[in-house]
Amino acid sequence: MFQKTRSFRAFLIFFSIIIGILVFFPLLWMINTAFKPATETFRLSLFITNPTLENFKSVLMSPEILRSMGNSLFVSFFSCFSATLVAMFAGFSFSKFRYAGRKVFMSAVMMAQAFPQAILLLTLYTMMQAMKMDGSYIALILSYIAFILPVGTWTLKAYFDQLPDALIESAKIDGAGWPRIIFQIIFPLAVPGAISTAIYGFVWSWNDLLYSLTLITEPARRTLAPALVMKYMGEFNNNWSEMMAASILVSIPVTLIFIMLQRYFIAGLTSGAVKG
Amino acid sequence: MTSEKSRRKVALSDAAVGFILVAPAIAIFCGIILYPFVNSVLMSFTNRSLLNPDFKLVGLQNYQKVFGDPTFLRTLSNTGVFVLFATLLPFVLGMIWAIILNQKFRGAGFLRGVTLIDWIIPGASISFLWSFIFDANHGIVNELLRSCGLISQNVNFLGQSGTAMMVVIIARTWQMLPWYMAFLTGGLQGIEYDQLEAARIDGANNFQVFLKIILPGMKSIIIIVLVLGIIGNLQHFDIPKVLTAGGPAGSTTVFSISVYRQAFESYKVGIAATIGTIWAALLAAFSFFYTRRAGRD
Repeated sequence: MFQKTRSFRAFLIFFSIIIGILVFFPLLWMINTAFKPATETFRLSLFITNPTLENFKSVLMSPEILRSMGNSLFVSFFSCFSATLVAMFAGFSFSKFRYAGRKVFMSAVMMAQAFPQAILLLTLYTMMQAMKMDGSYIALILSYIAFILPVGTWTLKAYFDQLPDALIESAKIDGAGWPRIIFQIIFPLAVPGAISTAIYGFVWSWNDLLYSLTLITEPARRTLAPALVMKYMGEFNNNWSEMMAASILVSIPVTLIFIMLQRYFIAGLTSGAVKG
Repeated sequence: MTSEKSRRKVALSDAAVGFILVAPAIAIFCGIILYPFVNSVLMSFTNRSLLNPDFKLVGLQNYQKVFGDPTFLRTLSNTGVFVLFATLLPFVLGMIWAIILNQKFRGAGFLRGVTLIDWIIPGASISFLWSFIFDANHGIVNELLRSCGLISQNVNFLGQSGTAMMVVIIARTWQMLPWYMAFLTGGLQGIEYDQLEAARIDGANNFQVFLKIILPGMKSIIIIVLVLGIIGNLQHFDIPKVLTAGGPAGSTTVFSISVYRQAFESYKVGIAATIGTIWAALLAAFSFFYTRRAGRD
């Protein structure tokens, strides 16, 4: 794409260094600090003289963090699974069907992310209070689904757009009913898009702070981000190494899932965006 | 005759099936987005408080209060500064990084993956990390600046108005650079080689190729990614909340923080809804662009 001129090489090298440091150094620093014993965090050395696991142990032994991780796993799996399913139905509907109001529905779903989430929260919170449902995960999970849908539906619609209509036609001629067409023929072909949506959904739910902080008030039912904030917010001056260890631990599940399924994610993002 | 009858046993028309398939999504939209939005906007015309179940209509009183409040102007300008820089910086850096990692070399894919880790880490963790890096006493930035002789005393980055916003912007840029890179990589890879070849034959250099072929070729992705980025930044909550809690002295209070604080710390849901409605009007302008773009597909 680019000719390897001298100036281009200089450009490459210069920005590789700068952006490379920006992108990777903080990660290394976070890992580095997490393995330092608490006494040494104040010595700014790149090489760890006494690597230790004591920070990780402290975090893992704190019941609030462990419990919140379990809560987050439950909420995130539920949300990403449901959101993917709903998005698949909606994406398929938008792609291969025509009916009155289709375009309006499409705009509605896409625009969901443009509504300030904090303002929706005001009503959702008062609604939950009034229905005596505050503290239940239902509002949280439904909210996550609502916010995952725009990107998920868009991605999956793009996948379904690429499927030839002939596939459905021939299945119909063979006498297949809609359930069979959908589940046995169409959906298996959209697996990459589904995985991409599920990853997005999982990351969204796992990382969310605003909604989980507000809607879930009982400490035992808290999810991860609020639990982290509650535990460490006041301790900025004291326990950096434990904070870094905690930050790493909470990032591990999403990172693992992401590394394993990264291909699908980027493919999903770009297939929806780059349309021929 | 009989075969046609049995095929017509399935009573649902195609359109009806389409409807049923989209129903869950629409139901969720109405329940979580539409109804709460309308209700919250209506709330802005009341004096509702979380401490008291009773409330009454107060017309435009809340709006008068909010517009008359000097902190509102500051929130507006904070949000503007944040959105501007926290969108442009990661966009430009993400574009350059996408170009760099698009050079075919071994490990490019791996580096792309590691870059994305910056994006998937929870915002709370990112805030902890950057508050540590810029910490007044033990942060590495201070240490580096001191050892280079650029400053003689540690700078309290998070404790001063101007620099606090700078750290928030840097943290958000770090978080979003991978996201922009991912989208822009897709755009880069979609450029057709015929056009590149033609330009080369005409003697274009790298810069000209970038300006005249590559950027225009990526136009729709660039617009989408910028609009989504702006919308995301207009709503962003995590980093200003955890890194600086909207301070010091309200210098990093953006709209989301302001609404949250009014509703859940001052319990004045009516005022919060007012700020939120004004904020939503701004967002509406950008979302309009987005649906126009997305609707073209």
